[in-house]
Amino acid sequence: MQKVFIFSYIACLFMLMGYLFHCEPLVNRFEDVQDAQMYSAKEIQSVSTDVDTLKCMTWNIRFGAARVPWFGDCCGDRVILSESEVIENLQQIADFINAVKPDILFMQEVDVESKRTAYIDEVQWLLDHTYFNYGCYASMWESQFVPSDGLGRINTGNTILSRWKIENAERIQLALRGDQDALTKYFYLRRNMLKARIEIQGLSNFYVIALHLEAFSTDDTKKRQIERILEELDALNATQSFFVLGGDFNLIPPGSDSTDFCDEDKCAGESFHGPKDDPLHKEGSYFGLEKDLMQPLYDNYSSAVPLADYLGNQQYYFTHTPNYNGFWDRKIDYLFTNLKWILGSDSTYQEITAQRSLSDHVPVSAKLEVSHE
Amino acid sequence: MNNQSKINVLLLFLLLVLLSINIIAENRTWSSGTAYLLPPGRWELGLFQSLRYGISETKEISFHPLFMFVIPNGKLKIAHQDLGKFQFASEHSLNYPTILLDLISRKGTGGIISPEFKIPPMISSTNSVLLSKPLGDNSSVTAKLGLMIAVKFGDLDKRTTIDLPIVFPRLNVFYNNYGFKYGGDLRGKIWKNLNYQVDVDLFHFPGADEKLAMEHKGLLLWNKSQRFQMCLGYELTYGEYPFGTQWHLLLPLIDLQWAWAKQ
Repeated sequence: MQKVFIFSYIACLFMLMGYLFHCEPLVNRFEDVQDAQMYSAKEIQSVSTDVDTLKCMTWNIRFGAARVPWFGDCCGDRVILSESEVIENLQQIADFINAVKPDILFMQEVDVESKRTAYIDEVQWLLDHTYFNYGCYASMWESQFVPSDGLGRINTGNTILSRWKIENAERIQLALRGDQDALTKYFYLRRNMLKARIEIQGLSNFYVIALHLEAFSTDDTKKRQIERILEELDALNATQSFFVLGGDFNLIPPGSDSTDFCDEDKCAGESFHGPKDDPLHKEGSYFGLEKDLMQPLYDNYSSAVPLADYLGNQQYYFTHTPNYNGFWDRKIDYLFTNLKWILGSDSTYQEITAQRSLSDHVPVSAKLEVSHE
Repeated sequence: MNNQSKINVLLLFLLLVLLSINIIAENRTWSSGTAYLLPPGRWELGLFQSLRYGISETKEISFHPLFMFVIPNGKLKIAHQDLGKFQFASEHSLNYPTILLDLISRKGTGGIISPEFKIPPMISSTNSVLLSKPLGDNSSVTAKLGLMIAVKFGDLDKRTTIDLPIVFPRLNVFYNNYGFKYGGDLRGKIWKNLNYQVDVDLFHFPGADEKLAMEHKGLLLWNKSQRFQMCLGYELTYGEYPFGTQWHLLLPLIDLQWAWAKQ
């Protein structure tokens, strides 16, 4: 009788485990190309696909942390925000979006299930507090537990929000950093491109791409990531598909006056550029070896902020600073297309600091003309 | 927790302590998790199991020596009057986790809790009653009911939770001040020196945002002798966490256990 019990127990247990388990890994390492996660708003608002212009915006929202002195990116000590802090910041982000009214919004550093932001699904939250109907999400960092600095569980990445239905959304893996030890690399970010198709009258085969390149690498990681991006854009171009790309490239435009921000970005007690300093430059603050990496994008595709305009008045187009007390001091956020931007339609919303800085990045928007032939 | 609840809890605790009257107890080896006590003078120690010592026929103490420096801990098991065929015992434990939580509250690798929060001095006590009944010659079944209480000397921010299986339910008492633990254990002989043990524990925190957790363990135990035992098995957990619910399968569970008796 006991043996019957034991064997029955084991059989039931294996069936239960087989039913329950798809073995969620400690850290999601992602496939090279995989489906993105799809979202829709709780209430879908009707919207015509017959449009004359398309307003696109890109914004790194710093996971709803506004200008909190977070430990990872601005010499701060904060790690875990309270739910009320995050909701207040998201509400202000939503208010801004609702005022500017882009048709397609590319966002970076959006948390969906992270301890640092009270496990709020920020994609769903923003869908439900703006007029957007659909969204897609591609994680760049998904770990059940990061045993460092009290981060805990994290899931953060790129998002595209759209008025219109999003289809065929894919997460495309970009090159990983080559300058880390194996353990750090295992728990570290995995940058990606989020590519999707949107059906709009007059724009057949229209793709939208959100991306966020590596910030702190000291090797050729960004170069390899740019090469992969160009491969994808060139493939779309070759098949007569149209695209708009919005993202945080963590690269400055070619010809920028300043390529070295180590002194501006250094934390108390840090020292750089001296003969005994190691590293010589602060990670993420020196672009001297990367200053021309954006050139192929400017050469082959149309930037919302033309390079000539930028070079004529660089400060006017700056989109980022890690210094939570400082003004924007570099441009690393871009919109590109293989269509044509409406001349003069671009905006870099630096004035956002006048009200309240909602991120360490400002949004950039521009309009496309949609032809009806 | 309102005043009436606190009084009830205190009364229950006192009742459990006062039940330590001398009775006829059944002593068994490898009896952790049951109402049976170690034979007097016997020590048992595992790589992961606590160090246990049979003080007398009705009392047994145990503590985790590996954790003692970072989580001072101790447990007293007392045999009580048998209830019919049921062996009846109670367990009373104290834990002080603040030292360990302070150590892992740090910047950089190994920082499990964010260093922006302060962990106050705090103590937890778990008081359980256990009822064990033999099933034939070689098996037994045990039911357990426990009350967990926590006392904090300062504020504990809810953002200091460690949202991992095994850990979260055990620390949840510090965010809720009290909780209950129910469980069952079944063990017996498969063949010769090969035994089995399966148990299930339920954690229940009324009033908490994360109310429930379940842990189920299955082990094969090989008794080389009265002095050495090897265990191999798995643990299946289900819990409510701040991010939602999740199952976990922890595999393999391995333990080596030694025993010796005072001469």
